[in-house]
Formats: sequence, C-alpha cells, structure tokens
Amino acid sequence: MPVIIDGTNGITQAGEFNSSGSFGFKNRIINGAMVIDQRNAGASVTATTVTVYSVDRFFVQGSVTSKFTAQQSSTAPAGFTNSLLLTSSAATTPSASDYYYFAQSIEGLNVADLGFGTANAKTITISFWVRSSLTGTFSGAVLNSATDRSYAFTFTINSANTFEYKTVTIAGDTSGTWLKTNGVGILVRFALGAGSSFLQTANSWGTGNVVGATGTTQWISTNGATFYITGVQLEVGSTATSFDYLDYGRSLIQCQRYFEQSYNVGTVAGTATSDGCALSGGSVGGATTGYIEGPAYFKVTKRASPTILNWDLSGNVSKCNRTLSGVLSTNNSTSSIATIGTNAFSVNSASSANANIIQIQWTASAEL
Amino acid sequence: MYKLNKDIYSNEPTSVIRLSDNACIPFDPANTDYANFKKEVLAGAELQDADGNVMTDASAYIATLP
Repeated sequence: MPVIIDGTNGITQAGEFNSSGSFGFKNRIINGAMVIDQRNAGASVTATTVTVYSVDRFFVQGSVTSKFTAQQSSTAPAGFTNSLLLTSSAATTPSASDYYYFAQSIEGLNVADLGFGTANAKTITISFWVRSSLTGTFSGAVLNSATDRSYAFTFTINSANTFEYKTVTIAGDTSGTWLKTNGVGILVRFALGAGSSFLQTANSWGTGNVVGATGTTQWISTNGATFYITGVQLEVGSTATSFDYLDYGRSLIQCQRYFEQSYNVGTVAGTATSDGCALSGGSVGGATTGYIEGPAYFKVTKRASPTILNWDLSGNVSKCNRTLSGVLSTNNSTSSIATIGTNAFSVNSASSANANIIQIQWTASAEL
Repeated sequence: MYKLNKDIYSNEPTSVIRLSDNACIPFDPANTDYANFKKEVLAGAELQDADGNVMTDASAYIATLP
C-alpha cells in the first residue's frame, strides 16, 4: 500500500486502503508476538487431549498425550523478542484419527465485521514468521465454531533453522454459521501432524473438522523437531501488511479478557506468595461470627463468567489465609467461591473462630 | 468428577467444582469449562451434590441447567 508524494501528482496511494485494515484493531490475533505468558512465565507445557495454554491465547492439543511441548522462547526474528516454540517429544506416526496442533480461537465480536457466512464475506490474510528444524510444506486451517466449515492452507519452509516470513490469503466463506457473539468467531489452527480424518484438500472451503491439508509435513513424526512462530497476524484484505505492534500493556489487557491472575505476571499460579493477593475484611468485614467474605475484582471485564481457581498464600489450592483479630494469620483455611460474574467474584470462609481478614490468590479463565 | 457448589445467598447451586483441580465453574453457557462439564456428565462422568453424595439422576439434572 505505497503512498507516493511528488511534485506532479501530490499525494497518491496505490493498492487497497481501508479503515478496517489500516486503523484500529488491524490484527485479530491477540498476542501474536508471543510476549504475554501469564500462566507459565516461559515454562514448558505438555500437550494433552484437552486444550492446554502456553503463551496467552495460544493453546495446544493432541489426540495422544505427551507427544509435544510448547513454551515461550526468546529466539525470534529481527523486530521481535519472543516466539512460541513447539518441540516434538517422540517420533509419532499419526493414525487416521490422530491430530496434533496449536491454535488460537478468535472471539466472534472481534471478527463480526468480516461477514463470514454471508455473500459479503471479506478476504483475510494471515501472516507470520516461522522457523523449523524441518523443511517442507506445512499447513493449518481456519474453521468456524461448529468446526463444520473449514479452509486448509499451506506454507513452505525452505531452509531449516531459519526464520522465514509467510503469508496466506483466504477468500472469506460465504456459507455456514459464523458466530458474531462472545463465542468462537474464527478458529485458526496450525498442524503439527494429523491423520487422514483431520486433513482435507488445501485452498478451498470444506466441511471437515480439520487441522491442516493433505500431503503436508508430519512434523510430529520427528523426535526433537522444533517449530518456532511469531508475528502472527490475521487481517482484512488480500495483502499482508506490517505486523501491528502493540505496547506490552495493551497486549496484556487484551489477553486478560480471557485469562487473569492475582499473581504478578511471571509468577506461576500456586506459588507461595502474598504479592498481589486479594484481601477482604478489615474494618468493613470485621467478623463477630465465624463467617467472613469479600469480593475480588478483575482488572479487565471477562468474555464470560470465568472459571476460578484460588489458593492461600502458601500455595494450597481452594484454601485461604484467614486472620483472627489479634492473632497471626493461618493458611490452609477453608474457603469457597461464589457469585462469579464477568467483573468480580466473592470468596468466603466459614469457621468456628471469628476472623477479620481473609486473603487469597486466584486465577480467572474465560478462554474460548 | 464434579461436585455442585451452593451459592451462599440463595443456597442453590450456581457453580460446580471440577474435582480434578478444584476449579469453580459458574453456570454460564458461554463458559467453555461449563460446556465441557455438561458434556462429560451426560457422557457418564460422576456428579456429586453439594453434600458429596453421588447423584443418580445427574443427566436429568443437567437438562434443567442453562
């Protein structure tokens, strides 16, 4: 989209120039630069049969547990500081019903303008930097929430252990049901390996619940294979534009709509610490009975009422630190969570002994 | 396995505890864990009432939830 300034024509601009692709929320992928890792602080996670989150908003899954790991990496191309690193844990040959992938679900509210499922569906372009110990043709897929509309795409890695920039352009789907709500609007998957049941022909819309395209590299089949990715961007239009860098604070806020914790960023949940803990009581909650409760407020409104986990200050799950007036505080005290909403929840503690303060650490997950 | 969690005000279950990790899951249809809870119980996963008794009518109870 070059803009030319000269003495003859003044200011001219070639190529598509549109507000949705040029201003505001250009990149529909959140944390595409892989800088936010609230849960794991860079530690590795192992893919299982259920979704497991590595860096914020990106999850991994495999039909067989423990076949690969994922973690935030500081290996990155120029202009980036982090990437998502996948490492194969075994030489796994997928059966027809096997699948191994990483993905991000984009909220429907954030892609409602794309018009998928209508005659006015817009073309999208996905771009990213990728590096692998393997070369060849790799693949991924774009799906709707019901996983009954899908488009498998491919990209080629030419040189081993070298970051390469890739772009994929996809004509918007004019069929199917694509949510424009707080549910899954678009699911973007990157295949690490799959059997025939989870692959389909590349570059056309289909109806399979797939992770990638037929005939592409089975990365999962090489023990120790690595795959780095960063700068992931999904934007409106047929041209990949420069990565939409956000300041760290705004990236964190975007991620916290889906996951937030009371712990400091970089502290793994369950760590024994009082830093950042929610505190209730004092002069307001001073108890004359054995019961005390109070709220914990989120910094960012959640996509949905989130799942809550809580710990005391020693890392005991589902417990609180309970302070009796004039007495030292006690960890491993009973606690219960209630009234979970998109902005707050309450924690309560009942005991035969009076208390005037309770403290907890917590995580709140409203992932798609 | 799951266990119903009563709201302290209404004394009615408004969330469920996932016993594998003690996560408290609200009865919000937009919550992914809640959708999985209903799916798993309908597929035979154990559901306990708030007192810890195994519910024999778990599928029927699930049908009453939002």
